[in-house]
Amino acid sequence: MSIKPHSSLERNMTKRTKVMSMNEAMQQAGLGDGSRILLSGFVGAGEPTCCIEWMVEKRVQGLTVICNTPGMNGFGKAMLFKNNCVKELISSHVGTTAESTEEYINGRLYIEQFYPMGTWAEKVRAGAVGLGGVLVPVGVGILDEEGLFPEVEKHGKKKEVVRVNGMDCIVEPALTAPIAMVHAWRADEIGNLQYRGTSRNNNHDMAMAGTFTIAEVSEIVPVGTIPPENVGTPAPFVDAIVQGLSIEEHDEIYRRHWLKIGKLEQED
Amino acid sequence: MNPRELIVRRAAQELSDGEIVNLGFGMPTQTSNYLPKGINLTFHSENGALGFGAKPRASQAIADLTNAGSEPITMLPGASIFDLCTSFAMMRKGFIDTTILGALQADQEGNMSNWALKRNGYWWPGIGGAMDLGYGARKVVVCMMHTDKHGESKVKKRCTLPLTAKGNVKVIITDKAVFKVGTGHLILEEYAPGVELEWILANTEAEIVVSNDFHKMELDLTI
Repeated sequence: MSIKPHSSLERNMTKRTKVMSMNEAMQQAGLGDGSRILLSGFVGAGEPTCCIEWMVEKRVQGLTVICNTPGMNGFGKAMLFKNNCVKELISSHVGTTAESTEEYINGRLYIEQFYPMGTWAEKVRAGAVGLGGVLVPVGVGILDEEGLFPEVEKHGKKKEVVRVNGMDCIVEPALTAPIAMVHAWRADEIGNLQYRGTSRNNNHDMAMAGTFTIAEVSEIVPVGTIPPENVGTPAPFVDAIVQGLSIEEHDEIYRRHWLKIGKLEQED
Repeated sequence: MNPRELIVRRAAQELSDGEIVNLGFGMPTQTSNYLPKGINLTFHSENGALGFGAKPRASQAIADLTNAGSEPITMLPGASIFDLCTSFAMMRKGFIDTTILGALQADQEGNMSNWALKRNGYWWPGIGGAMDLGYGARKVVVCMMHTDKHGESKVKKRCTLPLTAKGNVKVIITDKAVFKVGTGHLILEEYAPGVELEWILANTEAEIVVSNDFHKMELDLTI
């Protein structure tokens, strides 16, 4: 499905602010049952926590979710699977959470095929930057083996291998979606995003690959606050800014979770 | 000694001073507890970090400094953070010197499988970064138990499960032996303390050539 983004005038670039409530953002995005969404984060880090909670609370169903893994056990994104919100997963991996595993092996979560993480990232990047797809050498002789992914063959697709630049490469189409939900440290009111630490992962590609992009941030700052060279995602790619957890709350929920699962030691 | 600790202690010896390394989930991440004395390594984390250090104190941990398993980390001087595509560029283009990966199976042709088991008829758990590492790392080290829970050899003639790495495995370390991958066969280099050659030959499906330098694993227990 190819969806051209609205022109910048249609997207109201002249609007002084894209900041809005979560309800308003989801309504403008057209989020509902059966939506196809790009959902950012890397195994639970850098997720749009409040967007996820909103979808769980509203009991959204039948989602097609493009994300690199289903998240961290018992946390954040995993709750979408626990609450039967997701119909199809387009991802590199399903086993990072018990919740997604349970849905998948019991036939409630559909996965057509798995992609190497690097290939998945490049498919999203291709979608982000307006390419038809990418040529990837990883997995040649493995992923194109007949019978590995019966669902791919059932739909009449085939992993196509071409030789380019002296490399055998699998042809991988771009990944896009009508809606993207990403997390950033802060946004200015017109939508420039700045990322913090390793939560950058592929948030900026996810943001660009979505037609309507919701950025959930810890801080909303006045235009001019973010130095131009520190902008991780430029404003035109962002359509709605919603207030997420503050930095302190954000750090605290992770610290608590890590202490609970023994990844950190309690200090005296 | 716990067999997993033995494997991990021996696997840590495959890391050389100055290397950029990526340690896979599970047993491989434990190798960082048993690094040979005096060597300096740069750790690469799939989610987009190079040069990260040990976990922080709880009060210093932040949500936005994490490794590939979403665990909290610290960054050492000279560290860099970059996006996911750059992280995988490093893997594909050979910037990872050594990767240590857990496996379900490894075979005499240097293949290994670690991403797909059938559960209820479905492949699980999925690929993650292992295939990119298996493709591009200069040295792929496999560590795994020698036999599965049914006593079957995991060191095979040919992997029966979908492959992760095709022909790129250099070293296989189990709780019983260490193999180097030769051309179409494995070279048996070392035995674990208390393990007989006859046991290894009887319990390994792969074709083996015993090295002229076949010797006991040397483990520095002061580490």
